[in-house]
Amino acid sequence: MIEARELSKSFGPTKAVDGVSITGDAGSVHAITGENGAGKSTLMKMLAGVEKPDAGSIWVAGREVRFASPRDALVCGVSTVFQELTLLPNLTIAENLYLGREPLAGGGLARKTMLTSARAILERIGLDAKPEWLAGGLTVGQQQLLEIGKGISADASVFIFDEPTAALNKAEVDRLATLLLSLRDAGKAIFYISHRLEEIFRFCDTVTVLKDGRHVATVPAASIDASELVTLMVGRPVGELFPARGATEAAVALDVRALVPGPGRPAVAFQLRRGEILGLAGLEGQGQREIIRSLAGVEKPERSDIVKTSREGVAATLDPRDGAIAAVKRGIGFVPEDRKTEGLYLNLSIYDNVALGKLKGLPLAAPAPRVGKLVDEIMARMQLRARDARQPVGSLSGGNQQKVMLGRWFAAGVDVLLIEQPTRGVDIGAKAEIYRLLREFAQGGGAVLIVSSELIEIAGLCDRIFVARGGRLVAELDGPGATEEALLEHALDAADRAAVA
Amino acid sequence: MLLGRNSRSGVSLVTLGIPLTLVGLLIATTAHYFLSWENLTNLSGQMTALLIVSFGQLLVALVAGLDLSVGSVMSLATCVVASDSPLWITIPIALAIGIVVGLVNGSGVALLGIHPIIMTLSTMTFLQGAAYLLRAVPGGHVPDMLASSARGSFLGVPDSLLWSVICALVLAWLLYRSRFGLHLFATGGNPVSARLNGVNAVRVCISAYVLCSVFAVLAGLFLSARIASGDPAAGQSFGLDSVTAIALGGTQLSGGVGGVIGAITGTIALGLASNGMNLLNVSPFLQSAAKGLLLIFAICAQRRSTVGL
Repeated sequence: MIEARELSKSFGPTKAVDGVSITGDAGSVHAITGENGAGKSTLMKMLAGVEKPDAGSIWVAGREVRFASPRDALVCGVSTVFQELTLLPNLTIAENLYLGREPLAGGGLARKTMLTSARAILERIGLDAKPEWLAGGLTVGQQQLLEIGKGISADASVFIFDEPTAALNKAEVDRLATLLLSLRDAGKAIFYISHRLEEIFRFCDTVTVLKDGRHVATVPAASIDASELVTLMVGRPVGELFPARGATEAAVALDVRALVPGPGRPAVAFQLRRGEILGLAGLEGQGQREIIRSLAGVEKPERSDIVKTSREGVAATLDPRDGAIAAVKRGIGFVPEDRKTEGLYLNLSIYDNVALGKLKGLPLAAPAPRVGKLVDEIMARMQLRARDARQPVGSLSGGNQQKVMLGRWFAAGVDVLLIEQPTRGVDIGAKAEIYRLLREFAQGGGAVLIVSSELIEIAGLCDRIFVARGGRLVAELDGPGATEEALLEHALDAADRAAVA
Repeated sequence: MLLGRNSRSGVSLVTLGIPLTLVGLLIATTAHYFLSWENLTNLSGQMTALLIVSFGQLLVALVAGLDLSVGSVMSLATCVVASDSPLWITIPIALAIGIVVGLVNGSGVALLGIHPIIMTLSTMTFLQGAAYLLRAVPGGHVPDMLASSARGSFLGVPDSLLWSVICALVLAWLLYRSRFGLHLFATGGNPVSARLNGVNAVRVCISAYVLCSVFAVLAGLFLSARIASGDPAAGQSFGLDSVTAIALGGTQLSGGVGGVIGAITGTIALGLASNGMNLLNVSPFLQSAAKGLLLIFAICAQRRSTVGL
């Protein structure tokens, strides 16, 4: 039905998808799985017409096709339910279903036709709503059903689902499953992107595993069990990527006695010691982000009881509700997941971005100290690959940008680093250097807390690991000896674990 | 479906309440005179130009734009028709000028990514200069055929009301019955999603600016008919007044929410406020201050997050 041959796509220096071939057969559900960053979404975006492949070809029903847009793809019979939905909130359900290919009558819109056929589609997808309602009033689950409805109304023959259950509750997942299976029985080819094992084994006939943008294996789902699948997803030699672990000191830098990130969320408690790198692992959206952000003062926690001890051994209560600036003054630096919008000033120079760390606490009218030597030292220590300190940060690669981000906090002299996704969008060489820098920082008496969805990074780098699930810390593991399989096991919920067992 | 969350018209209790309250106040304070045929006809004549130009402004606001140049386009249109040439030459020229201005504004915003305020501020300044070059002081003669089309009445209905109704019907058809209207709302709701759904957001945006300028030309023609001359400063106040009117009518300047009803109630609210204060002999300076307060009150009283935009 649909076939991708040797598709490749690069973003800058990173190869997101590297020569992957994949086939979707009529009347079958094909799961695409792999770790975060394995290239699943990029591969599907090429099939959906969002990204143009650098190399390779796409064939639908025996003909080679080139999609300029998702609408093009839909005309060729490929319908995609994106993770970020493309419904217009200010249009009605019927208008959304037919946007871009509206039926016309007498020079204007055939509104009656739209309403009648929309009603039939709504019944088909089991969405209890009137076609005159605005899409913006629907829940995420209902909107997702409506996106599928768009494909059905266009009579698509290939459906792509990009992690459709991420935002759904159990009842909605069941409804989605019913719809998916009915599409399969109607002879559609379905791609189902997910890393939820339970769903893969429940819906899918074939499984393809991707890793680092490459094709690892395509097997019938019935011929493999969950643990073999997990091994395919994560199994790779850790190698010399990670520096040797050091000795953790007894001194506690940050004693989180209780932290409630938001209303109705469970309280978490843990200690961060000097000399250690502490990892917070888990599947995406299990509360890790809220925990680290409310600790850094970026988001206001509901309640907190935290004691921060300075390098000199002075302990005092830290209230994240005072905000991120107060946290920085107490020696806590936060490296956000999206450094481009939340961390760096892309059109300013390396010097400005790093020297900013030195300005903390100065009044607005105070002259900015010249810290050229310090910045040069930091750039050397970082092995920053840049022309000179005047180069704008926006022109650096992802890895070097992340080093600038860390350099700012080194210049500020913080002793606790809170880091989200330390190596997102960073190539493998720079990854090793960032790991080394973090390890050096810890051994110099600093303390590091990282949140990462890359399990291999957590397992390889951290001295101690907490696993978050549903906002709680459900397990504590020792870093040495921790495996990705063990982490995944704790990170999956009961239903998924039953599938693994 | 007309009010509240389930609507993208922007019409709310506030947008309907302001003009109704003003009508009530005016009847209570000036009783006979406000309801007199003379005053109502006068009122309709005063509001029509603003109403037509607000219709154009609405189209642009629906795609999160803003057109400050409408006032200059109106002024220029009055100067063009008040020349000595016959109407069959001057009206097409005025319309052509409108189309070109709209194309320039729209292309600058949609293709070059220039901010709407900067883009239309430039064309506004340019066209204001052009109007003064054409006619340095008010004067000239508007052909009788045009002049009489705005000052009399047809079957007892004032001509100004006919102009308003025809323009409103055309706009309503565009917004609610045409493909363009649907694409306009989609583009204003979220241009990226609209593009993913096959809407040509650039073309929609340029078309909105062109139609806006064409409405401004129509408003200018009506105005020239009423003042029976060309005036290079005639349209000056309309740029900002039209934005005020649609904002009073519940249009969200961030795009995607607004409608014909709102544009009408907003214009009536603004027109009544002026008319009422004139009747009550309020000083023009105080009038301006009062209009400012009215606008900020209307904006604050409206729900900002209609339909999740």
